[in-house]
Amino acid sequence: MPTAVPTEVEVPAGETGTVQDRPWIVIVWNDPINLMSYVVLVFQKLFGYNRAKATELMLDVHHKGRAVVSNGTREKAEMDVFRLHEHGLWATMQQD
Amino acid sequence: MGFGGRRVVARKGAFLLRLPEGERELLLQLLGELRTLLKLGPDNPRLRRLYPAAYSDDEEKEAEYRMLTHEELSSGRLAALDTVEQTIAADRLTPDELTAWMHAVNALRLVLGTMLDVTEDDPFAVDPEDPNAREYMLYGYLGLLLEEIVQAQMD
Repeated sequence: MPTAVPTEVEVPAGETGTVQDRPWIVIVWNDPINLMSYVVLVFQKLFGYNRAKATELMLDVHHKGRAVVSNGTREKAEMDVFRLHEHGLWATMQQD
Repeated sequence: MGFGGRRVVARKGAFLLRLPEGERELLLQLLGELRTLLKLGPDNPRLRRLYPAAYSDDEEKEAEYRMLTHEELSSGRLAALDTVEQTIAADRLTPDELTAWMHAVNALRLVLGTMLDVTEDDPFAVDPEDPNAREYMLYGYLGLLLEEIVQAQMD
């Protein structure tokens, strides 16, 4: 069961927090080509989200222009972005 | 009739494919064109939607990402085309084969949609006088086919 996507990630203050510690987030951007149903299927397939969660994320992408679909280490985020690109979705990653 | 006129239907762990002969021929032709395009390489502007940037604000990391992934993205798409061409006449597809069809049809839509510069507001009806009328109709058809491929997997 995947954890929910945090809307805000607390960054530790002072010397306990380094740039490397900050998690990476994977963002899917709205595009006029990919079908809404297809995007839902891809989110379910790649991240194991249930239909409701995948649909909610797809609607965020559609209405807000973007949604954070996963997060983690740089390696994990890059793998997620790669799999989204394999499926033709417009995904980018950045450090939160 | 139980089939409801649908082209793709889940049945006992596989998928029944009921595509008219003409649609199979059309797909074969379009996929041949896509194969030719893919061989031009990821930097071709017509293929830009197939190879999005992972790092939009870090050129160094983006260059590294491209180096690591573009070959694999490209070979994966060519492999999907191989699978579709091998199963173009099939009446039944395994889940992996249907996934290859889904990837191939979606790649075609991405290329056509980029070429036509489609927007979400584009009308469904195609103006026959439009110089791109054929491409718009193909784009619409591929959208319907993809929708059926997706729905069959969600049933």
